[in-house]
Amino acid sequence: MTSRQAGRRISTIAAARRRPGRAGARRAVRRKEDSLSAGERRRLIQLAACVGIFILLVAVKLLLPGRMAQINQFLNGPMEQNVDVRAVFSAVGRAFAGESDVGGAARDVYQAVFHPEVPGEILETAVLGELPESSAMDTLRAYRDAEEPPAETEDGGQTGGEGQASTLAYVLYSDQNLPSNVSLEQAILDFDYRAPLSGALSSNFGYREHPVEGEERFHYGVDLAAETGTEICCFADGTVTAVGESSSYGKYCIVTHQGGYTTLYAHCSRVTASSGTAVQRGQKIAEVGETGMATGPHLHFELQRDGVYLNPIYYVAAV
Amino acid sequence: MWRLCDLRGRIRISPGFCLLTVWFALDNGWELLGTVLGAAALHELGHCLVLRLMGVPIAGLRIGVFGAELAADRRGMSYPGELAAVLAGPGANILCAVLLTLPGGTRWAVFTGANLVLCVFNLLPVRPLDGGRALYLLAAWAAGPAAGERAVRWAGGITALALSAALAFVMARTGGSLWLLPAAAGLLAAGGRELAGRGGDLKYS
Repeated sequence: MTSRQAGRRISTIAAARRRPGRAGARRAVRRKEDSLSAGERRRLIQLAACVGIFILLVAVKLLLPGRMAQINQFLNGPMEQNVDVRAVFSAVGRAFAGESDVGGAARDVYQAVFHPEVPGEILETAVLGELPESSAMDTLRAYRDAEEPPAETEDGGQTGGEGQASTLAYVLYSDQNLPSNVSLEQAILDFDYRAPLSGALSSNFGYREHPVEGEERFHYGVDLAAETGTEICCFADGTVTAVGESSSYGKYCIVTHQGGYTTLYAHCSRVTASSGTAVQRGQKIAEVGETGMATGPHLHFELQRDGVYLNPIYYVAAV
Repeated sequence: MWRLCDLRGRIRISPGFCLLTVWFALDNGWELLGTVLGAAALHELGHCLVLRLMGVPIAGLRIGVFGAELAADRRGMSYPGELAAVLAGPGANILCAVLLTLPGGTRWAVFTGANLVLCVFNLLPVRPLDGGRALYLLAAWAAGPAAGERAVRWAGGITALALSAALAFVMARTGGSLWLLPAAAGLLAAGGRELAGRGGDLKYS
């Protein structure tokens, strides 16, 4: 090092002074004797730690699948909310290309970093999709405010009251303010079915004030109140096509029946059927709980035909 | 033992980086990993190219958890020369982003975005990053090395601590965003190092 450079840059010189010395010493040590320098030992420890973590994870996964599932469940929340890296890049790239303005891109990036859409959330948006406000909605709201349906408060004899409520729904909901994937027709099922459980109807199919979020939303199923642990029976013969857990549905399972019909059982404390198995009408598939977005133990029951939501009340009250 | 990937002994990849890479790939898919690594390679290529143009030999490349680090003997370089080499990395990313958006359309939006994010992150005025180096070089060029050291110590330390605090706050509030964790930890470490007066020990990133 020459004196010309000496006063120039503190850091570079300090680093330079250290660098060749250390590297040279290491090389010499390695060549002459087979012992390890401090730096080399540190790196060995790093390597061992990384390999150790990897082996530990693989071992836990192979030997203790149950424990791994628990850990996964614990990590699931933060992982599901993890940064959607692709969406961040995509938003920035699109803004740079002039496709979206800066404010929109910033919103997209924030959304992607802190609340990325996860499958469960997408499901929720699809199911509880918001609707454009319309004057028909206001009329409906006024009507409901004036005359609270008896089903909400006292639901002892559900069949009679519910018959009225569903007729009411038929009259009040025109095609304009119904979500596109909803049909109010009473389909005639050409297979045997039964109610998944006998419980009090605590929330009907149709628009309602969301119990947790507070806004007017379409309720795509019926809620049957029952105690936690009550047996949930399968609606009809079919195959369990999905068992899962989501933030809104909690623990749920979906059964596919013949004729393009599917039923969904949500907020369970436990799903006893496993995905892919054939189930019989009346067979126990789950137990009532209040997992997910629920304010008390109940079964949220949905009925779909080829992706269109039907009002399950006709088939539940029929028992 | 340490040199997992030994290209004539000049490239070193740390095991921590391998672990992080695998985690990222499992979480985000190999395609996105390729995108990020591609943008990072472009960044380093920019540094490399300018260093080569100025006739500076490159001693090696070290790839760790917090990014890649080119080892080169910069003692003979002038301030503007070194500044050019430091800014060449982010410059390469911007150039790539511009070239990809020039034909119009958003087919390459993800790669463009990856380049821009990498560029902006690297331009943070925190020392192991290019922005910190550039700030140091600029201030030292204008007012001497002591002023450069001071400028980057305070700017870097405060920026790093403020950013890591902000990241920690938002992560705590939203309860997620795990990928920000390494960034927040790295910034915290860099900020602490700067304020403790040891930021200059770090080499290039």
